[in-house]
Amino acid sequence: MELWVLFGSFVFLLLLGTPVAFCLGVSSFATILYLGLPPVVVFQRMNSGVSVFALMAIPFFIFAGDLMVRGDIARRLVALAGAMVGHLRGGLGQVNIFASVMFGGVSGSAAADASAVGGLMVPQMKARGYDVDYAVNITVVGSIIALMIPPSHNMIIYSISAGGRISIADLFTAGIIPGLVLALSLMVAAWFVARRRGYPTEAFPGAGALLGLFANAVPGLILVAIIFGGVRSGIFTASESSNIAVVYAMFVTFFVYRSLSWNDFVSATFAAVRTTAMVLMVIGCAGAFGWLLAYTRVPATMVEMLRGVSDNPIIILLLMNVVLLILGTFMDMSPLIVITTPIFLPVAVAFGVDPVHFGVILILNLGIGLCTPPVGAVLFVGCAVGRIPITQAMRTIWPFYGAAFATLMLVTYIPQLSLWLPAQFH
Amino acid sequence: ETTLKSSDTHPDGYPTVEAVEAMGKMIEERTDGRLCVEVYHSAQLGEEKDTIEQTQFGAIDLNRVSLGPFNNIIEETQVPSLPYIFRSVDHMHKVMDGEIGQEILDAFKEHDLVGLAFYDGGSRSFYNSEKPIKSMEDLKGMKFRVMQSDMFVDMVSALGANATPLPYGEVYSSIQTGVIDGAENNWPSYDTSGHYEVAKYYTLDQHLIVPEVLVMSKKSWDKLSAEDQEVVRQAARESVPVMRELWVAQEKKSEDKVRAAGSEIVTDIDKTPFIEAMKPVYEKYVKSDKLKDMVARIQATE
Amino acid sequence: MRETMTRVAQVTGAMARAALWISGAGLVLMTVLIACQVFWRYVLNDSISWTEPGSVMIMGWFIFLGAAVGIREGYHLSFDILVHLVSDQVRDVMRTLSDLVVIAFGGGMVVYGAELALNAAPNVLPSLGISGAFDFLPLVAGGLLVVLFSVERIARRLAGLPTAAFGEAVAED
Ligand code: NA
Ligand code: NA
Repeated sequence: MELWVLFGSFVFLLLLGTPVAFCLGVSSFATILYLGLPPVVVFQRMNSGVSVFALMAIPFFIFAGDLMVRGDIARRLVALAGAMVGHLRGGLGQVNIFASVMFGGVSGSAAADASAVGGLMVPQMKARGYDVDYAVNITVVGSIIALMIPPSHNMIIYSISAGGRISIADLFTAGIIPGLVLALSLMVAAWFVARRRGYPTEAFPGAGALLGLFANAVPGLILVAIIFGGVRSGIFTASESSNIAVVYAMFVTFFVYRSLSWNDFVSATFAAVRTTAMVLMVIGCAGAFGWLLAYTRVPATMVEMLRGVSDNPIIILLLMNVVLLILGTFMDMSPLIVITTPIFLPVAVAFGVDPVHFGVILILNLGIGLCTPPVGAVLFVGCAVGRIPITQAMRTIWPFYGAAFATLMLVTYIPQLSLWLPAQFH
Repeated sequence: ETTLKSSDTHPDGYPTVEAVEAMGKMIEERTDGRLCVEVYHSAQLGEEKDTIEQTQFGAIDLNRVSLGPFNNIIEETQVPSLPYIFRSVDHMHKVMDGEIGQEILDAFKEHDLVGLAFYDGGSRSFYNSEKPIKSMEDLKGMKFRVMQSDMFVDMVSALGANATPLPYGEVYSSIQTGVIDGAENNWPSYDTSGHYEVAKYYTLDQHLIVPEVLVMSKKSWDKLSAEDQEVVRQAARESVPVMRELWVAQEKKSEDKVRAAGSEIVTDIDKTPFIEAMKPVYEKYVKSDKLKDMVARIQATE
Repeated sequence: MRETMTRVAQVTGAMARAALWISGAGLVLMTVLIACQVFWRYVLNDSISWTEPGSVMIMGWFIFLGAAVGIREGYHLSFDILVHLVSDQVRDVMRTLSDLVVIAFGGGMVVYGAELALNAAPNVLPSLGISGAFDFLPLVAGGLLVVLFSVERIARRLAGLPTAAFGEAVAED
């Protein structure tokens, strides 16, 4: 019965249009009253849910991303990507994807990637005769890459939802190869669509111009090296690397590019506060929700149920992927990570899946959910950037969904894609 | 029929979890099933600081916790948490099984909790990735991760090393990459955290031999009849030898494993300079007459 | 009614602005603290133990203040499909109902946050050396603003003024 109260009030409030954070909080509040337990627990869980040092990476990475978009770092990365892969079939589409790889290396947010890369690429693509839906679709699905290639604050959210015992550095490292596989399969999809539609290629600008653009982008590119090198050489920890990203982004935009005015700085700060508060409020309230799930033994019941369905890890993983994809269409990423990790991770572990590997599957899966209606923040950003209705994007997005799904299957069933690289550092 | 919900941060199968489950079985038998115990392991209901509050408010009934989080709440719990206060695990058992242990259990009463029993937490020692530590000289300038507690930070500083706060989940890679040189813990945690893979020098200085405690919510306690209270208290008492036996086996298993994996264990150190270096720590934390007296009595316990 | 509400909105708007400035300053301060933590440990080989709990506390402030401002500005994530399918009157009823449960929750943040603060007040926080009550003050302050801004939403709706709709301000993941 208490589960009906918990999930019933949650769904009811969700339909009512109540913010997700408060749906989680209020349904927990209602359930704890129903159970006759002291309500103070709900608010304690909420407070301790956000009083976690590693969560600090979220405001920092978001802040750094805002500074980079406003301070011209993103534009220079995109220009470099243009020179590098523009001469492939469907040139600017390939550039768009490649730019996500590079921007993904400095930002952990898919929505930031979609607005930064999309904001720069979509108008260019339009002008060069590409259909807008093609430009938007590539922008949207391509930005999942930013979640996979470190840094990624969603990996941190996952580590914390798993009880803080999974190494963030390992998770960061584990995402790299799957992120590149995703980029590659999207580039293949882009190539096929471009061939069918007869899109142009760009001329290779020549080694000299390439070198110039590279030099221009170097201060941005160095950040990738700083973050990865700094974490791997022991100067700072994975969660501290987010702080270094902010400090470095400030340094480059203030002193090297001199591209950031005081007003830009203030608005970047406010934007970061708004986004962070929203994300972390969800995480806090999900902390209360998660406590009730644990108290009412939902995860244990779930393990039992899935055990009853099959004892084959291949089928269990497929099942979990399907459930996550469905949930992902309806809800956003961070709340889903916090809600589903305590339920699904024990199942995965019980079936012999490595927690780091499961984290990569989870992030990729929910990343796809960011690109699907009805609730898909990245899809909304992409369509807003391209000024097209969601239905128009939906008609032609399927080859890219297909590429992302194929990558998801590869990542799910080839653990080495995720686990090989971190193992090299052990 | 009442189910007492019990929290533990350790995983399923850990000695403390099994001990509370064994206690639950005794209670169930002795009350003809009127009372039973359900353990939520692996910190499902939160970290220790949080579950302590939940127990105080009566959201959960039983809680197995370390003494560390109580240090800033209940003065008496600081004494067994003092570095090098116990000469050995046997010494600790003798003290905690006796009247001093009872005094500390009684001190929980004022904080909406009922202290039921002390469990073993093993002894914590330093491990690091750099070198075998044989003297205080070796510790100089090294960076160790310790639990977020003023006393432990001061202890590490008094030994000439650097106490570095870090989230537990980042300790492994931080040792590996050199953000810190090492950490400190007991045999089972040194093993299960995998830290032995990156920090192979383990020096058994046993700076902390801190027992863990099983507490019950005062609110839940008051709901029980006097008989049932006695059943719970007795079962908790009887779960202690069960726990100690499991603990010894667990320690042995972990020790064998990390030794086989090539960890270098330093056992023959002279602890005297370490103990002498603790003077300022004792001066800072043992202030009241009550604590001074308790320390003196512990040191006098044979 | 409309005019009164417009004047009230100026006051609440100023409060939201102030909360944002406090939060923004907190974010910048946190950046400085953690940068110092890294610098001290790596360059000076001397670890600071209070920067971590200190910044966690600052983070609490800007999360709960920022979340409250999000109610006024409408930047929370929500699932607003049904809201778009119903008539204007039904939509207003739904939104008011939603604001009412948020008020209840904000009230909970205040009341139970205060209870937690009182319970923790005698304790001393490790490394910071201040009362444990400070852990819960952001929750109480955020709760107060959540209640205030939600009441404002209802009042504005009754006065026929527009309120920010959740989900329409673009959210990032
Ligand atoms: Na990234
Ligand atoms: Na979606």
